[in-house]
Amino acid sequence: MKIEVKELSAWYGSHQVLRSVSMGVRENMITAIIGPSGCGKTTLLRCLNRMHELVDGARVEGEVLLDGENIYDPSVDPVEVRRRIGMVFQKPNPFPHMSIFDNVAIGLKLAGVRDKRKLREVVEDCLKKAALWDEVKDKLDQPGGRLSGGQQQRLCIARALATSPEVLLFDEPTSALDPISAMRIENLMLSLKREYTIVIVTHNIQQAARVSDYTAFLYRGVLVEYGETAVMFKTPRHKLTEEYLTGRFG
Amino acid sequence: MGDKTKSRGFVRRVALDRGLNKVKEMVLELSGIAKEAVRLSIEALKEKSREKIEKVYELEKRSDVLNMDIEDECLTLAALQQPVARDLRFIASMMRISNNYERICDLAQKIAYIAEKTIDKPLLKPLIDVPRMGKLVIEMLEINEESIRTGDTSMLEMELKARDDEIDLLYSQTYNELVGYMVRIPHRIDDAIDLLFVAKHLERMGDLVAKSAARLVYIEEGRRVWIK
Repeated sequence: MKIEVKELSAWYGSHQVLRSVSMGVRENMITAIIGPSGCGKTTLLRCLNRMHELVDGARVEGEVLLDGENIYDPSVDPVEVRRRIGMVFQKPNPFPHMSIFDNVAIGLKLAGVRDKRKLREVVEDCLKKAALWDEVKDKLDQPGGRLSGGQQQRLCIARALATSPEVLLFDEPTSALDPISAMRIENLMLSLKREYTIVIVTHNIQQAARVSDYTAFLYRGVLVEYGETAVMFKTPRHKLTEEYLTGRFG
Repeated sequence: MGDKTKSRGFVRRVALDRGLNKVKEMVLELSGIAKEAVRLSIEALKEKSREKIEKVYELEKRSDVLNMDIEDECLTLAALQQPVARDLRFIASMMRISNNYERICDLAQKIAYIAEKTIDKPLLKPLIDVPRMGKLVIEMLEINEESIRTGDTSMLEMELKARDDEIDLLYSQTYNELVGYMVRIPHRIDDAIDLLFVAKHLERMGDLVAKSAARLVYIEEGRRVWIK
């Protein structure tokens, strides 16, 4: 297991959104988290790289082990956690006036890397991994905000890759994109899993079926069912999962 | 989490439900055709009725078309509605069941061929076990129909197995009896072989209905069973 979630509960103020969730995230696999609106799936994702606690009044109990080490241990630096576990958001959020090159290089520059050759190498490598290089290699100095929505999302993926993370978290990465751009991101996730462990939150259960190896179904903060995607989509064990997957509620 | 699940709002899935229901009705219709074809093929053999032979040929043609339509309907649902879980098992299994039932109509047609071929000859022996086998096949189809209608598969394995076993027993009985005829009346070996084929076709029909019942268990319970 790359990540082990142990009896994780989370609150916003007095409102409990996760209830003792335990699950393992396998290395170099894509794990999808699905469930109806408000079930806690985004909160669970944000707990995996300590972003939940950035919200005022938010609180977490339980453990999240990354390679066996609890990321909530007081000795752990949350910034380092977020470097090792990168995140891509629902709405592409490149720095719109910053060049394409700098959008990718920003993380390294902030970390103090000044070597221009090194920066260029990393930017090219990340844009290639994000399947964007061929489309932008001749306009790296143009602002990131001029790219299309799908390209901006791939730029954000390249930016997330630049700090050499081990895990990538995707929070509904294609919900703001057209179907072709969405398919590109799905294909990209499938190629990235060779090097990275991926967790995706999605509202689109067909997307979960297409890309993920394992699926977790959350309902009202409780992990109802977790297992191999192919098994869950053919023969879900729990009646609630069946009802959600077949569109009877949601 | 029982109390929490009560408030969730159920959504009616109009297009998918309508499609699934249509497939169900079509498979029930095909089952009706198969029952009729089995019954008429045996009556044609027994009564040497040209009219019934023709009727079986006609039913077989209808079963081909209906089987194709069921497949089309299932493929459309799979392509447009992205079925999962029970819906997916239903669609995949109904395609198999439809094929099995169409195959039963083929076998009934083969029995009708034999009836046609031997129409001017007297029967080798009075037909007793063969009609019993046919009756059992029809009963098995009816049990499956009930389960398709209600979704209740609790007794299916037991009910089908008992009848399939009986068909197998009748088949071995018929086999032994016909071998006896072949030895005693060698000049009518061809008639004995034809009748043996009839029994074999009926035994195969029993297998096909039992296989279909196993798919019904898979649809409702997600469980793979082997009814034999």
